[in-house]
Amino acid sequence: MKEEIEQIQADALATIAHAVGEQELDTARIAFLGKKGRLTAASSGMKTLSKEEKPVAGQLLNAARGAITAALDTKRTALQDEADRAALEGLDLTLPGRALHSGNLHPLTQLKDRAVQICRRLGFALAEGPEIETEFHCFDALNTPPEHPARNEKDTFYFDSGKLLRTHTSTVQVRTMESQAPPVRIIAPGSAYRRDEIDATHLSVFNQLEGLYVDTDVQVGDLKGTLEFFYRAMFGEDTEVRFRPHFFPFTEPSFEIDVKLRVKGQDPRWIEIAGCGMVDPAVFEEISKSRGDDLYHPDKVTGFAFGMGIDRLAMIKWGIKDIRLLIENDARFLRQFA
Amino acid sequence: MLVSKNWLSDHLDLSGLSNAEFDDILTFAGVEVEGIEEMGVSSDAVVVAQVKQSDPHPNADRLSVTQVDAGEGELRQIVCGAKNYNVGDKVPCALPGAELRGGFTIGETKMRGVESKGMLCSAVELGLGADHSGLMILPSDWETGKPVRQFVANDTIFEIEITPNRPDLLSHYGMAREVAALTGRDLKEFEFPTSELAPANGAVSVDDQEICPFYTAVNIKGVSVGESPEWLQGKLEAIGLRPINNVVDITNFVLHELGQPLHAFDAAKVTGGIRVRNAQEGEKFAALDEETYELLASDCVISDQSGTALALGGVMGGLHSGVTKTSTDVILESAWFNPPSIRRTARRLILHSDSSYRFERGVDPGGVTNASALAARLIVELAGGTIEGPTLTAGSAPTLTGSVALNQDKLQQLVGGSISMKQANAALGRLGLTATGNGNWKVPSYRLDLQRHIDLAEEVVRVAGLDAIPSRNRSSAAAPGKVDRRYDLELDLKKRLAAFGFYEAHTIKLISDAQLRDALPLRPLQDGDIIRISLPLSEDHSVMRPSLAPGLLATAARNVRQGAKAVRFFEVGRCFRNAGGGKATDLESETLGLVLGGATQPAFWASKHSCHSDAFALKGLLGALLPGALVQFSPAKAGQFLQAAQVVVNGKTIGSFAQLAPSRGRELDLEFPVYLAELDLAKVVELRSGDAPVDELPQFPGSSRDAAMEAPADLANAEIEKAIRKQSEPLLVSFDCFDVFSDPSGEKLAADRKSIAYSFLYRAADRTLKSEEVDAAHQKLLKHLEKTLPIGFR
Repeated sequence: MKEEIEQIQADALATIAHAVGEQELDTARIAFLGKKGRLTAASSGMKTLSKEEKPVAGQLLNAARGAITAALDTKRTALQDEADRAALEGLDLTLPGRALHSGNLHPLTQLKDRAVQICRRLGFALAEGPEIETEFHCFDALNTPPEHPARNEKDTFYFDSGKLLRTHTSTVQVRTMESQAPPVRIIAPGSAYRRDEIDATHLSVFNQLEGLYVDTDVQVGDLKGTLEFFYRAMFGEDTEVRFRPHFFPFTEPSFEIDVKLRVKGQDPRWIEIAGCGMVDPAVFEEISKSRGDDLYHPDKVTGFAFGMGIDRLAMIKWGIKDIRLLIENDARFLRQFA
Repeated sequence: MLVSKNWLSDHLDLSGLSNAEFDDILTFAGVEVEGIEEMGVSSDAVVVAQVKQSDPHPNADRLSVTQVDAGEGELRQIVCGAKNYNVGDKVPCALPGAELRGGFTIGETKMRGVESKGMLCSAVELGLGADHSGLMILPSDWETGKPVRQFVANDTIFEIEITPNRPDLLSHYGMAREVAALTGRDLKEFEFPTSELAPANGAVSVDDQEICPFYTAVNIKGVSVGESPEWLQGKLEAIGLRPINNVVDITNFVLHELGQPLHAFDAAKVTGGIRVRNAQEGEKFAALDEETYELLASDCVISDQSGTALALGGVMGGLHSGVTKTSTDVILESAWFNPPSIRRTARRLILHSDSSYRFERGVDPGGVTNASALAARLIVELAGGTIEGPTLTAGSAPTLTGSVALNQDKLQQLVGGSISMKQANAALGRLGLTATGNGNWKVPSYRLDLQRHIDLAEEVVRVAGLDAIPSRNRSSAAAPGKVDRRYDLELDLKKRLAAFGFYEAHTIKLISDAQLRDALPLRPLQDGDIIRISLPLSEDHSVMRPSLAPGLLATAARNVRQGAKAVRFFEVGRCFRNAGGGKATDLESETLGLVLGGATQPAFWASKHSCHSDAFALKGLLGALLPGALVQFSPAKAGQFLQAAQVVVNGKTIGSFAQLAPSRGRELDLEFPVYLAELDLAKVVELRSGDAPVDELPQFPGSSRDAAMEAPADLANAEIEKAIRKQSEPLLVSFDCFDVFSDPSGEKLAADRKSIAYSFLYRAADRTLKSEEVDAAHQKLLKHLEKTLPIGFR
């Protein structure tokens, strides 16, 4: 019996070793371990053995079964590994990958958000107002005399109702002060409209970011500190910012802001980037009249306001030469901001 | 405005002040220098040369070959195209190496086969005048060989932006006054000739004192009109004006010298004195620019007593009333017009002149008669003639400036104490204001902009410069308001859409009437809902968009024309419409728009087939945007679209869906099905805003059962889903449709039937369900469906 079992085991291991493919391996398993397999057949010979021989033979059979099973497992794993490797045979990993549909936020949204986050650090809250506005909110309340050139219908879009498309987001200053008691510290990003033919540097609908801070004792120094912080956060900590006196009807004193732009391969140059100033007392007087109280009396509060073009900021920041790219939505352009 | 540095130097000493310093000083005082142009000859290689010989060019009729003496000991051969010189004339000669205006350098060359060693120059080529008709003939006493630079005055022309509040700077004297104040240099004394004033008593009359409060006229007789002397022509040419004749040149000179517009009439064209009147409605006026303008009653006309219009007051002279070579007697006008009325006229007629520019901003009322006196004296000096009688006046110069108090506390608050009162007072003093005690200041008549404390404070800050005021930061915490919260949620939504492979578009809010057919508004548009601009720039931008779809479709079309195989765009923005069919209130609603079409996946080398996005792709996207919400499409009237539906979320309509009509798609070159959706942004944001507690993960396994039912082909999935939900089977966790089959041939299934299969998942929260329990629940559900729907199970 012992010889027989050893012979079966040797045959089985040899067959397994030579098996090519999982099917042959399975055939070998059935041939040796199956119901009619040789080892199974051998174990049925146990019945003829004596009481003393049985345990010995039993041990031998179990050992043989174990060895054969282990060989089968090892071989199967080896065959599977081989098949897995073969499946990759000839695969050219240098072929292009499977592209995804890319998508992203419009550069104006990205820039606007950056501006909003910076202003929030400074304690500004968001505000908004309608784009179809009254002459009062767009001009009268902002100390713009009836004959001011901006009010001409060659420069401003009017409706038959007498309303107009706001020419600046400064209307939100007025709306905010009408509805909120001081102090107010708000920013208002939004669209504004001017009757400009669309070309490489002009859009008839463009985007602005307006800011207003009104409180007791707001000083020119607050205006300066706030906007310096803003542009350094926007363009880099060492950004130079300068203020040139200017004129706007609704602020006095008024300034234009330049930042020194540093673009690789170009000489640094000053770029005009925003307008700002201290809220003109005439604006506070109009607000007080409109509110019917004196919370905004020019003897009680002072404030500053600023406004900048977001489209222009984007053009400066990314070196965009034609503003129309910002409304054409060509994916080849938008992709570059992903 | 163009300012000549030489001209400015008539009024103050600018020596030692570089152009860059000049630029800085003015720009940082709010008077922006936008351009600096150096005029004249800067190169030493442009020398005085004498033409010694001139022969025709052998190969070119229009050229000559000259031999010139440039002081080099031997003659120099130069080919020249001009004809206006004689042998013996002295002319400017640019030697090889000379750099001329515009940065080009003269070299030795051959012109049509003849050697030319330099260039003989015209005045314009050297920046010495406007004459480009021929060579500049130099005075014969200029020494041959010397640089021309030594004999001519160079000049610098500054282009300066004057803000609308500073009309007092619109002249050389005004600029000189400002530069003097800013630099501390002394303004040279300006001696105005005196003139006798006398009320006109009818010789000059003004109908409307509102439009023209002050009018003056001087009669000058016996002038000889001719060319202006060189100094006067030079001044005008320096700032880009064309000399006309001595009288006209003098009025232009005084305008740019003092800022007071003047006009000279030929007295022979004036019948019986001047009358300033309102135009007749529809009156035609032939102006100096040879255009004819139609006037309104609000326009101011200078006419004679016969009523003939001589000039459009403050704006432009008439075509026939001006001073010409044949004029001998002149009436010189100097007046003060009401700024708004000049502005209205000039803007309406789009007729802008140096005069209207100044009058509409505000001319110094105190300078009207000085300017007149100066011009009259210059006319007598340069054109002869005599001043007849006094200066006739009608009305009087308005007083527009007075005493203004500078509030010390307010100023110190504004600047945070960084500018002392001593500095402030000094600044105002330098600007020509006079302290009258108690913080009061007398404002000169030309500073119309200084009316209030804050106007004086502005001057102090402007002169001190912003560098003098330290920066400060008083930031404090701001609680997020409603707008802040919505902004954050909107940004989250946009980021989510970007992550799903959509580009954000920004389209223009003004669209064309034709684009309205692409609109997919949240609610159907009624008559009168569309908001139109009264005076659009073009038909393409004449309507406020009532929907994002038109812009998104234009975006899709543009991208497909550029080769895109798929369009996946969204836009978040405002749409506009009148409420309820044209009632006065306009509505602005924040809207989310989507456009989807084309390849579901970008091209890939191993993919043999590409597949197009369909309506379910868009529906699936909305489901992904609104996790946990039930997104349903409820079919609606298709209208101009191929199909349309309302987007119903959790039972509420929040927007619209449509498939573009293929015929419209082909017009736009969109060769694949295109799907649109437009959603009420506020509702989308609200649906995404909840902080619902998380669902705990199930502790026990669930069991699923599939069921395929045969149903009429037109039984909607929504009906079946509704029936399933209605059963409210407590063990049913979820169900999904996983197959729909139909056979139009009728072989495997009747053609009017379909097979629709669902997988149902059953689970209990507290135990593992027994198979029998699941079966019982499932059978109960199926029985219910069979009973309530016209279906059978296969």
